[in-house]
Amino acid sequence: MLGGYIHDLEPGDVLKPVRYVLTAEQIAWYADANEEDGDWFHSDANPWGKTVRPPTMIHSDKMRILEANVDKERRIAGMTGEGPDLTSDARIHYEYFAQQHSPAYVGEEMVVTCRIIDKYIKRGREYLHYYMEVHTGDGRLVTSYNDLTLLRYQKAE
Amino acid sequence: MGTKLLETPAPLAVGDILIGREGPVTPKQLVDYGSGFLSSAIGRPVVVGANIHTDVEAAKKSGLEAPIVDGMLSTNYLSNMMTRYFGRAYVENGSLRTKFIKPIPALMDIKVRGKVVRKTMQPTGAMRYTLDVWVEDPDGNMLVVGDATVDTP
Repeated sequence: MLGGYIHDLEPGDVLKPVRYVLTAEQIAWYADANEEDGDWFHSDANPWGKTVRPPTMIHSDKMRILEANVDKERRIAGMTGEGPDLTSDARIHYEYFAQQHSPAYVGEEMVVTCRIIDKYIKRGREYLHYYMEVHTGDGRLVTSYNDLTLLRYQKAE
Repeated sequence: MGTKLLETPAPLAVGDILIGREGPVTPKQLVDYGSGFLSSAIGRPVVVGANIHTDVEAAKKSGLEAPIVDGMLSTNYLSNMMTRYFGRAYVENGSLRTKFIKPIPALMDIKVRGKVVRKTMQPTGAMRYTLDVWVEDPDGNMLVVGDATVDTP
């Protein structure tokens, strides 16, 4: 179910796409956060002649699209301390699987789409499977991504 | 300027080991990660709040003994390693899968590694490298496991 919390999402839910223009600052913040000091992500001195975003940056897109679709939770606001306290409902990212299809460059429009593939309980723990794609505004596929998240993490007895 | 990345893939054979980041992830690095990641997602500089990665009480509230490293940070260490070994090809067509099988406590010494397990010629003429990738603790126990592929010209 859209419009609630992340744990309300159900298989078949299609999230409202998010569009934004990729900036050098967004790339630098992301790269620096991940200790990626490679010159390709901090300047246009690279094989493409334009600053490119790191291959894993679809994870940042996941935050963007959840923020836009999971109205009650406001995950980003919660993580910055500006929104609801979510520490009692911690989640653990369990699996990341991204396939790159083309680089994305500073100044390009990114279009992020996401749908919920599955939700299931295994060994008493509930998992949510997201499938995402990021295209450029003119339709070029940049990254496809499968994400498995453990909901409501509590230490096993 | 930071590290100069190489466009051309490193010459690698089946069985070769890739060496990535080594050492502890400090609490400051966890805050820097959360803040930078969120700033990127929001589009303005912010500082991450209390969560299981940045705050002892928040971690304990979720049944953890101490803050843990965000799984995506270890994934990024693996991705950084792949970029350094495979250059342009990894950015253009690489894949990376990681499973976070054990929590990584802050300050634990970790090693980021990869191993070439297969090289297969593709119909396009590209050479596909398939790798096992992982993050291990000081005793060699696996914390993050996964695989990666890259098609090189």
